[in-house]
Amino acid sequence: MAETEARKTPLFDRHKAAGAKLIEFGGWMMPVSYAGVLAEHKAVREKCGIFDVSHMGEIRVSGPAAEKFLQYVTMNDAAKLGPGQGQYSAILNEKGGMIDDLIVYRLGAEEFFICINAANRDKDFQWIKARSDGFDARVENESDLWAQLAVQGPTSKDAVLAVVDPGDRTKVEALPYTNITRAKFAGRECLVARTGYTGEHGYEIYLPASHAVTLWDSLLATAATTGIVPVGLGARDTLRLEACYLLYGNDMNDDTTPLEAGVAWAVKLAKPEFIGKEALVQQKSAGLKQKIVAFKMKEDGIPRHGMTVFWRGEPAGFVTSGSVLPTVGGAGGMAMVASTVVENEELEVDIRGKRKLATVVKRPLYSAKTK
Amino acid sequence: MNFPAELKYTKDHEWISLVDSKIGVTAYAIEQLGDIVHIELPEVGKEFKQGASFGTIESTKTVSDLYMPVNGKIVAVNQAVLKSPESLQADPYKNGWLIQVASSSADTPGLMTGKDYATFIAEH
Repeated sequence: MAETEARKTPLFDRHKAAGAKLIEFGGWMMPVSYAGVLAEHKAVREKCGIFDVSHMGEIRVSGPAAEKFLQYVTMNDAAKLGPGQGQYSAILNEKGGMIDDLIVYRLGAEEFFICINAANRDKDFQWIKARSDGFDARVENESDLWAQLAVQGPTSKDAVLAVVDPGDRTKVEALPYTNITRAKFAGRECLVARTGYTGEHGYEIYLPASHAVTLWDSLLATAATTGIVPVGLGARDTLRLEACYLLYGNDMNDDTTPLEAGVAWAVKLAKPEFIGKEALVQQKSAGLKQKIVAFKMKEDGIPRHGMTVFWRGEPAGFVTSGSVLPTVGGAGGMAMVASTVVENEELEVDIRGKRKLATVVKRPLYSAKTK
Repeated sequence: MNFPAELKYTKDHEWISLVDSKIGVTAYAIEQLGDIVHIELPEVGKEFKQGASFGTIESTKTVSDLYMPVNGKIVAVNQAVLKSPESLQADPYKNGWLIQVASSSADTPGLMTGKDYATFIAEH
């Protein structure tokens, strides 16, 4: 897609001015890197990075039956969420396939806020909206209203506390992992969540699109004390891969169930009826045929999405995400393989015609001491 | 950007030295690729035709083929860049050579001077 056809975030001019390499991603012109993927990856693991993730979508679900509706349309237990709490979840089709993975936050008794993937913005909204008939709930696509900044890394707390308005400092400082709170930055109300896609302590700030440049600049102005640098999609991908977070469209799609994708912990089969439940119950009782595993290369070569994986000499699946692993060292990734594949055993990855040895390892590939 | 005059260049962003028939990739290619994390090169003794893929170069995100600027037989492979591919970023020409070939027909049709190559990338 040509640059002129893809959408631009409110920070597009900032990225250009910073000399970022820009690529089209999910219909958006996004920065892939500024100083280099490896340097940006390291900055997030050791100090702090700021990501423009304004391409992500936001949906608000509100009304007396908002909770009941989300229980029906998502796989995790939304009823468990107290005000200010969030959870990883997904919307499934009737076959149990993942239409998208997302985060559901409860803002109030009858108000929920959902963060969805950029490439799925319209698909998700239409799916959710179409299934809300008969529920006393409003479903609103707020994707165009919000910009989103992710601030991630060991010093991310210092960066965010340095720029939040003094009156909201205490509640942001005390914010638990996966929770969300309203907080003002330069007088404008935003939503701050203790979530992220890097495996580090971090924040995702939802803010009015018109406020994005101001907050971006003020967060970067903390660099002298926090070491914060802008980070692009390249390092976002290597960071999330080390943390073994799924990437929609790569690791899973409409044909992949959450059980196969290794996020069964976010599926609540004990709760009442929800879309996809029947198929998941059946799949669970019949036994999984395939599953996602993490692996590390033992031999030279970098695994990439789509490469065939062999186990005990037979084709057993394919690489869903692969890359160098800058913090872990070496290369590796995730693969969708036959459910018979066992941890700690060897796999072979067909890298352009040559089979290279790898080892199946426990997920995640990287885990921070504190999140 | 620097494109030394003693080298000749391909449209695929390889260079070949007129002096010692070493082959590498240009500073422009390195900048486009970003962090180089892996390089695969053939064994000494293998022969390739001009335009044939003799190896691959990988950044964090993409894999690119390396194409022979000339017909030739591999006489040396740079083991140092295989061990530390990231070193190409700082020095894609002198220590950043990838392979050396026996045939040094650097006047092969299709190769560009540094000046022409600079014009070529400006137009593409």
